[in-house]
Amino acid sequence: MNAAIGYTAIVAVAVASALIGFYGLRVSRTTSDFYVASRTVRPWWNASAIGGEYLSAASFLGIAGLILLTGSAALWFPIGYTAGYLMLLLFVAAPLRRSGAYTIPDFTEARLESVWARRVTSILVIVVGWFYIVPQLQGAALTVRITTGLPAWAGSLAVAVIVAVVVAAGGMRSITFVQAFQFWLKLTALAVPVVVLLLALGGTEPALPPVEAFPATAGPGDLEVYRTVSLMVALLLGTLGLPHVLVRFYTNPDGVAARRTTVIVLVLLSVFYLFPTAFGFLGRAFAPDLATSGDADALILLLPDRLIPGPVGDVLTALVIAGAFAAFLSTSSGLVVSLAGVISQDLLGGSVRGFRIAAVISSFVPLVVALATESTGLAGSVGLVFAFTASTLCPVLLLGIWWRGLTARGAVAGMLTGAVLSGTAILGGAAISAVLPGIRPFLEQPAAWTVPLAVLVTVLASRADRRGVPRGADAFLTRLHVPEAARRRRPV
Amino acid sequence: MSSDPERTDATPARVRVTAPRPGSAAASARPSPHPGTEAPTSDIAGVYVRSLIRTQLRLGVVFAVGFVVATALFVLAIAFVPELDATFVLGVPLSWLLLGIGVYPLAITVAGLYVRAASRNEARYRSLTEDE
Repeated sequence: MNAAIGYTAIVAVAVASALIGFYGLRVSRTTSDFYVASRTVRPWWNASAIGGEYLSAASFLGIAGLILLTGSAALWFPIGYTAGYLMLLLFVAAPLRRSGAYTIPDFTEARLESVWARRVTSILVIVVGWFYIVPQLQGAALTVRITTGLPAWAGSLAVAVIVAVVVAAGGMRSITFVQAFQFWLKLTALAVPVVVLLLALGGTEPALPPVEAFPATAGPGDLEVYRTVSLMVALLLGTLGLPHVLVRFYTNPDGVAARRTTVIVLVLLSVFYLFPTAFGFLGRAFAPDLATSGDADALILLLPDRLIPGPVGDVLTALVIAGAFAAFLSTSSGLVVSLAGVISQDLLGGSVRGFRIAAVISSFVPLVVALATESTGLAGSVGLVFAFTASTLCPVLLLGIWWRGLTARGAVAGMLTGAVLSGTAILGGAAISAVLPGIRPFLEQPAAWTVPLAVLVTVLASRADRRGVPRGADAFLTRLHVPEAARRRRPV
Repeated sequence: MSSDPERTDATPARVRVTAPRPGSAAASARPSPHPGTEAPTSDIAGVYVRSLIRTQLRLGVVFAVGFVVATALFVLAIAFVPELDATFVLGVPLSWLLLGIGVYPLAITVAGLYVRAASRNEARYRSLTEDE
């Protein structure tokens, strides 16, 4: 592949993101601008920004790679990534906006009136964020290695540095513009190549006949029930706890706008995921030789040049590289913003300077982890982060919004249970299933049993601690569920 | 008219919200700063609020279960009709295409219906509390 195309595309996206970031800096001066863009962001902007932030390396590269590698089981990933927003709409969007909290730790502290619950939540948010950034940096390493021939670490380092600089300089206000821009860039970067490839290939004989490219044994008829159900639990519920997604809901003007934003996000994601899916199908038919675990994630980067050699292929390749970098940058910067918010409020006094220091820390810890480990498939790693989030932050959030009886002890007990169980399954799964091969699926997709156990422990511990129900619980629930208009109209 | 600076109803003004600090507790998230706006002022108000919360929770659960059941039926239908594996559209089996595309319209439909129903519940709550 022509390395000049790779360099050009990567530099162009980096410069464009930085320019929009610094343009935003001029309107971002107060502390509240830094944290939540002063709550003036409109639903379409906000929805584009959520899409921009959410569509990570796993969505942009990972899904097509996994379809190529494993077949139709991979189609469940985009379904889960999208339907997670349905759960967010049904149970979280409007109440969370009405809570008036900035971050999940703010929410738990205000709801449970406990600094302890806040501390535990903060630590979990930071762990989730860091482990979510790692696959982004690994995706960047893969992209740089495949497209420029530079050593892989250069990609991870470049993304970490750009993100740290842009976030520390601009805060959330500028990030909203950057994210919205990057959603549309990512969509264009997949849609245009898919359309051009389909037009150019019309009638061309594929590398494999359809019956071999799409065997029924890898098709929807061959459903692994436990794995699919557990993956869906992780993706549907994990979305509820993602710190970088939730922080976006505070930028809606009110609860009704938060709901409208969520529906728009669903539509945007549904349209977006058609294209990685199409890439995956094209890959199975035309590039089956890429189906090796190391290279499958690069399918989207390699396919245009391979199917249409020449200038058209070069332009399409530049476009997908740009889109991929937009994915790494936007997800990482969204995560760094929310992590920096949490770290600076908890440790550094909540000042703008503290936010900047925290942004740099939040970018470099995952960089170290990414450099020290090797990618095992982008969609899969992000799926595991969802399983961890679903087992830890999601039960507390759901019960905090809907159940008056939740107590600080119950919340902490549930979060720790979920963290220990899913953390053990994710980190120690390979070692344990070497001894006990029978439980391998339960460790590889833990959410189906870790989430119910975490909820159960939360409820039982809260029940045992009835006197621990916060005094302000009723007032807080009222605030979460009563529409803003009714609050304003009430006589003071 | 649009230049009138007093038009705050249509265009919400930028709200300055300070970052809460741990220890001093999430100040902006505390349900206390505007007396009378959050805490139920009477038993009747509390009953209305609790009934609103229950209604909204039931609505969310019904829609979530509906979505999961509909998706499961859809997937089982695909899995148990082998003809779909043998029918090719643009070189891709129909079963793969249906699984890759079919669930999204369902999710969007459920979302749209939910937003209408949830807003209706809130409107009913508002009309109840105004009658008070």
